[in-house]
Amino acid sequence: MRAPATPPVIAPGHTFGTVTDKITSIVLTNKTPLGWWAGFLFVSMFAGLLAVSLTYLVLTGVGIWGNNQPIGWAFDITNFVWWIGIGHAGTLISAILLLFKQTWRTSINRFAEAMTLFAVVCAGIFPLFHTGRPWLAYWMVPYPNTMNVWPQFKSPLIWDVFAVSTYGLVSLLFWFVGLIPDLATLRDRATGRASRMIYGMLAMGWRGSARHWHRYETAYLLLAGLATPLVVSVHSVVSLDFAVSVIPGWHTTLFPPYFVAGAIYSGFAMVLTLVIPIRKFYGMEDFITMRHLQNMAKVLLVTGLMVGYGYTVEAFMAWYSANRYEGFMMWNRMTGPYWWTYVLLILCNVVTPQTLWFKRVRGSVPALFVISLVVNVGMWLERFVIVVTSLHRDFLPSSWGRFSPTIWDWSTYVGTIGLFLTLLFLFLRFLPMISIFEMRTLLPAAKVTEEA
Amino acid sequence: MSPTLSQPADQLIPELAPAQRKLFVAGAAAAVVSLVGLFTNRAQFFQSYLMAYLFVLGATLGCLALAMIHQLSGGAWGVVTRRLLGASTRVLPVLTVLFIPILLGRHYLFVWTHADVVARDEVLQHKQLFLNTPFFIARAALYFAVWNALVYFLNRWSLEQDKTPDPAIARRMQTLSGGGLLAYGLTATFASFDWLMSIDPHWFSTIYGVLLMGGQGLTALAVLIAALTWLSRRPPLDAIVVPVHFHDLGNLMLAFVMLWAYFSFSQYLIIFSGNLPEEITWYVHRLHTGWRFVGLTLVLFHFAIPFLLLLSRRVKRTPDLLMKIALGILAARLIDLFWLIAPEFHKDGLVVHWLDVTLPLALGALWLGCFVWQLRGRAILPLHDPQFEQALGRVASVS
Repeated sequence: MRAPATPPVIAPGHTFGTVTDKITSIVLTNKTPLGWWAGFLFVSMFAGLLAVSLTYLVLTGVGIWGNNQPIGWAFDITNFVWWIGIGHAGTLISAILLLFKQTWRTSINRFAEAMTLFAVVCAGIFPLFHTGRPWLAYWMVPYPNTMNVWPQFKSPLIWDVFAVSTYGLVSLLFWFVGLIPDLATLRDRATGRASRMIYGMLAMGWRGSARHWHRYETAYLLLAGLATPLVVSVHSVVSLDFAVSVIPGWHTTLFPPYFVAGAIYSGFAMVLTLVIPIRKFYGMEDFITMRHLQNMAKVLLVTGLMVGYGYTVEAFMAWYSANRYEGFMMWNRMTGPYWWTYVLLILCNVVTPQTLWFKRVRGSVPALFVISLVVNVGMWLERFVIVVTSLHRDFLPSSWGRFSPTIWDWSTYVGTIGLFLTLLFLFLRFLPMISIFEMRTLLPAAKVTEEA
Repeated sequence: MSPTLSQPADQLIPELAPAQRKLFVAGAAAAVVSLVGLFTNRAQFFQSYLMAYLFVLGATLGCLALAMIHQLSGGAWGVVTRRLLGASTRVLPVLTVLFIPILLGRHYLFVWTHADVVARDEVLQHKQLFLNTPFFIARAALYFAVWNALVYFLNRWSLEQDKTPDPAIARRMQTLSGGGLLAYGLTATFASFDWLMSIDPHWFSTIYGVLLMGGQGLTALAVLIAALTWLSRRPPLDAIVVPVHFHDLGNLMLAFVMLWAYFSFSQYLIIFSGNLPEEITWYVHRLHTGWRFVGLTLVLFHFAIPFLLLLSRRVKRTPDLLMKIALGILAARLIDLFWLIAPEFHKDGLVVHWLDVTLPLALGALWLGCFVWQLRGRAILPLHDPQFEQALGRVASVS
């Protein structure tokens, strides 16, 4: 009964068969498209660059990065927060939208969950290698050891270990459980012996009996319930890494919700950035329709406004606090040596998304693609501004400093983007990017008609 | 569609008129008793008044925000409660008038209005650009202008929609709600800075506005659930409102309980671990004197107990149980405002004045009386809501 102008979540004319054929044909084919190979080779070069950068880092030490005193955290934490934030869209789409019975999530959830996993992988690399001795990373885990040394439980950095690892694990489980019925479909349709074996093992004996479905539905709903608090908790803990300190620009009570809003914002921007070219390349416009893009654009607008609210209150309170360090921090952000990052951040994150108020913009695929890219950049800048401009000039002018990224800072960052996209390419090739069985439930034929 | 449903609620639910009368009488009685306090303890009167006022204002503003959210998000919960939301927002003109005592009593509430105090205090001199009486009044006028404008247009269009199912009206309301939520977010935030945070003008917290907005949403949901339960016991809504509607509202209330706890705990944890002199003072006298018991009450009754109860599906689907929780949450909301305001004036320890009881009763009953009064004039269900059929049309046509 909504306005008839709303596009459907699945284009008309599809049947159970066509949905299954369309999605499985991408995976179960011997002819990998040339475009896939080209893209895969291109992005895996960057993944290779990451391997080189990290190897050199381990051999040499974190000194190859531009981090210094007082800027002990720079690109590494900026990138960590950026990647963790991107993952949030996946969890939100799969868990919260499922609980809210939003059927439009169906065609993008699988894809977004995969994105979450890969983003967590990329995020984890940064703190791990920033420790300088990644082979001793297990020291962060509390276990009774002969050294009788325990982690500092009062430190949010240790909460991060728990939050991020829980997040990674629950996201993986959620994604895998959701895949099982589709893996069984692939097993049944595969012609090659090897693929039948592999998909068969992954499908864990799924036969699609009523009992299987019953268990599946229960498990999936429970996992959604478990994943929901994670949408909020993970980035709240990340924000506490900063907020529990007393550094002006970090120590502010709004940080937890403001970080969560920013995370969802950047996550949806990334989903749009990826989904727009992919739906075009694989001809998935029937499944990932304008309705999806428009809804994501609306989420982008709402979360963008929340982030803008955060900037406003932060700036106001820096003045209102009458604390000279707070006031200087904001002044330095806006007019100091890194002023242009702040200006760009406002342009990217607050000004640009205002165009999404217009229906014409929300309906234009190229515009959405450009806006999503701009927001991705903006959210990266936001973390850079928070991390670097707060650290580089704090209380004592004699301890002020500057940060400039080295070639290795850049290569590690670009390298994680390469790794992320490489994993994504593999996912697109070997797993169904859209949930086949959930798509089938959206078809008119799946609706039980009620006869009184 | 049953033709009777389009009649004003007054004719369908005869209990409304006597309820309104009783509420007004009770409110007037409590107000008269409270007025004694104006002469015996003027400072306390205004402090208690501020608390009571922000409590009822929270119900109205929360309903305004929920009404706008519903315009954008849709959902059956909002269709069954739309008329309650509307009636609640239409109390705003009355609340606008009731704000005047706060302006009159500002010297008892806001230390920064005293020129001699400001003259001795560098921090307050810095803040004078913002915290000065003319600007304070101008800002309040702006907030009320924005809120009243939103209430006026949303309700007027809603009435138009009752007459004709023109989809253009729904679109217009959606457009206004988008911008309206943005305006609400900013005005409610700065209003919370003005009317609550500036009681201790040295203290600041960036999450404060969000915390207060979360509280307003929770107050509004608790009012909606209580009112809907009352209405669902009598015709015509007894045949229309079903457990699913309560389930949705219960889930929303659970979400707001969690949000409030999340915001409160964030503020506490961050200020606690920073332990900075200009921030921690706010918690020192709250946690090192008798006020700590109020804090503990909030932890239990504003979060832990309703949270655990609302996890149960059975509770959310049983209106009588849900209503009891909602009433408990309303009490907790009042205690939360008490916690935000009263310790600033009694730093040595817990003081509960009788005005802290009579004034909330007076304003609460008056608010509820106005709410019922506004409810009577319109149809009890938005028959031309674009989602009406989807939300309850089938049930409604059965009746």
